[in-house]
Amino acid sequence: MECSAHNKKCSGIKSWLFTTDHKKIAVMYLTVSLVVFVLALALAAVMKIEHWSGGKDIIDAKTYNVFFTIHGAGMILWWIIPVFTGFFANLLVPLMIGSRDVAFPRLNALSFWFFVAATVMAVLALVTPGRLDIGWTGYPPYSLQSGSNLSLYVFAVHMLGASSLASAVNFITTIITMRAPGMTWGRLNLTIWGIFGANIIQLFGIPVLAGAVTLLLFDKYLGTNFYNAAMGGSSMLYQHLFWFYAHPAVYVVALPAFGVISEIVSTFSRKKIYGYTSMAIAIMVITFLGFDVWIHHLFTKGVEDWARIVQSLLTIMIGVPTGIKVFNWLATMHQGKIEFRSPMLYAVGFITMFVIGGVTGVGNGLISIDLHVHDTWWLVAHFHFVLSLAMTTVAFAGIYYWFPKFTGRLYNERLANISFWFILIGAIFAFGPLFEVGLKGMPRRYWAYPHEFTGPFRVSVVGGYILIIGFLLTLINIIRSAFKGERTTANPWNAKSLEWTIPSPPPHYNFEEIPVITEGPYEFGKK
Amino acid sequence: MTNEKTTSHSIKHHEAELSVWPPMVGLSSLLMIFGFMIAFQWKLPSMGMLVGGAGVVMLIISLFGWTSEVYKSSFEAGLSKTAIIVFILSEVALFGGLFGGYLYNMFPAPEWPPINTPKDVPPLGTALILSVFLLSSSWTIHKAEAHLEEGNTGGFKGWLFLTILLGGIFLIGQAVEWSSLIHEGFNVSTNSFGTFFYTITGFHGSHVLVGIILQVFILIIASRGRINRERPTIVRACGYYWHFVDGLWLLVLSLIYVLPSY
Repeated sequence: MECSAHNKKCSGIKSWLFTTDHKKIAVMYLTVSLVVFVLALALAAVMKIEHWSGGKDIIDAKTYNVFFTIHGAGMILWWIIPVFTGFFANLLVPLMIGSRDVAFPRLNALSFWFFVAATVMAVLALVTPGRLDIGWTGYPPYSLQSGSNLSLYVFAVHMLGASSLASAVNFITTIITMRAPGMTWGRLNLTIWGIFGANIIQLFGIPVLAGAVTLLLFDKYLGTNFYNAAMGGSSMLYQHLFWFYAHPAVYVVALPAFGVISEIVSTFSRKKIYGYTSMAIAIMVITFLGFDVWIHHLFTKGVEDWARIVQSLLTIMIGVPTGIKVFNWLATMHQGKIEFRSPMLYAVGFITMFVIGGVTGVGNGLISIDLHVHDTWWLVAHFHFVLSLAMTTVAFAGIYYWFPKFTGRLYNERLANISFWFILIGAIFAFGPLFEVGLKGMPRRYWAYPHEFTGPFRVSVVGGYILIIGFLLTLINIIRSAFKGERTTANPWNAKSLEWTIPSPPPHYNFEEIPVITEGPYEFGKK
Repeated sequence: MTNEKTTSHSIKHHEAELSVWPPMVGLSSLLMIFGFMIAFQWKLPSMGMLVGGAGVVMLIISLFGWTSEVYKSSFEAGLSKTAIIVFILSEVALFGGLFGGYLYNMFPAPEWPPINTPKDVPPLGTALILSVFLLSSSWTIHKAEAHLEEGNTGGFKGWLFLTILLGGIFLIGQAVEWSSLIHEGFNVSTNSFGTFFYTITGFHGSHVLVGIILQVFILIIASRGRINRERPTIVRACGYYWHFVDGLWLLVLSLIYVLPSY
């Protein structure tokens, strides 16, 4: 089936359902991700009310377990990872490397439909009998014994895995083979470097996770003994295999996010990104180093000392390339003509939250500190700053930054800025107090708490609601502006990168003529 | 053949492609999963078979529709060669995880295989005979590719058929081995060696099966005249994959069959 620009087949529901156009697929990814984001946010809202007093407020312990399972899995596997590997990758890779689509457009559509299939299962896991209460990690032996419908968990991971694996093959092939003439590796946007690194991690990590959960399925339904210690198996094996992917998964999010921030900081400082080469090298170093730190999730689980010490050192070493990035952003802003449009505001907010989360992360990487804070609210606060909030802030920054490009309309600047302050202040109050609660030894994943923690928990509840209002304001902004926003031009930010040289929104073939590239994407100050 | 890159870039750009097959494959995967869930979680085996079976049928139809759509276009960009190498890297990771898990269980064990394993397990002799068939098929598929390069489509089909035959013998041999072992009372639940034995040989066997299905598929479209010297990419991709599956067998052989025997 084909359609031309003046044909009816190009609009209407079929043009979306059967599309192979990377830009439409990107928008569909964003839509599904945002739906799950709102769902997981609603669960968080209920859990926050439950934290108002130490005992029971509105839900029981079992429901609380189901809620944090779906909240965690939804936020990580459906929102923050796909918004980068699904939405941003699909939207930006062909536009930034100068090609008309990805290498395999149909496979790309299939990735999206696998993602939808996984979403159906996630929703079923919340509402059908045998609701999942096993945490997003699904550790055995509890996950095998809890009586919840484990097959939903396993197959949702399989579908997401198939989706991400197809995407990884697709995008790696695209970036290697379909760059426009003159688009050398040294002229790629840092976002493309980030997406390239992220997909390498997906490629090596996902099969291991898929294998681990498959063995869980076999143990539960076919009577195997992988995780059954009584028959010579080991439940620790699952934790190793799980974190072999699930730790690098945070870099799947972080690497493209670093790229997005680099684009925004460079554009709104009107300066070339400081230390392009060191940024690209740092991305690739994190890609590979990221696979050698998973044991820091298992410091308290009886792993040999040599492994703990080696991986503790490697964990801290990851702070080095990450720190290089933060300093490079600051150096890019230094003496630049900074323009605080919303994306830039979000980018600077990201750096703040990321430093809070990152510094506490280096602390967690030390075995002695980790032994004390392991599985406490400290951890919850740490990863909400570094992963959830910092990365969601980047996602919003990126959505606002490229909003004119993929919709052809402008967002509401004032509402975006108000939303930003709600998010930043909400984040600090929602998760700041939890550092203290955790340091004092309160374990995570409990629905109740001793009365001496009432104060910090109540601050956190109020902060959480400020945060949720902030998120909702951005959602309203996105949806409203997509239909009613002011029309805009091809390059409203006067940015230098390739995607801004074509109309907004781009025609489905992207480039009338495949461009010949003669310089890098951050050449500000040149005519 | 002209430069692959310029071909892919000079595609007529005023046409946007639509395809029903990706969402159909997505839907069929969902049906197969529901089939498993209905059968195993909700304990309704026949209902599960029905739903899962519908999914399988739909999947096969969709895949044929998909490929005929792809072969309608008159050129190929040749990107699949890169893609299959990238994909094989992910397979390396999958088996890396499985072998890692196997060694993780083996090293601390006081005895390997554990004491309640029957005596002649693992059956090294059978495995060695099967290896001959599988490894020689790497050579036959190489011959097939060479014939295709020379433009000898008849020779290509002959050698490809021989490859399918050798792979088929390997699979049947393994099925016979499995059933006789299960007869002896060695199954997935016997101990952790049984668990890993069947899982790893099963994962490998399923990869052999996928390779054979791919080869049969190529044979079918080759007999319709769609494979020739100018469009060799799918054959190349299949060749890479088959060599990988054969190489992998050497690892399975040494870790699962040879290592526990000494």
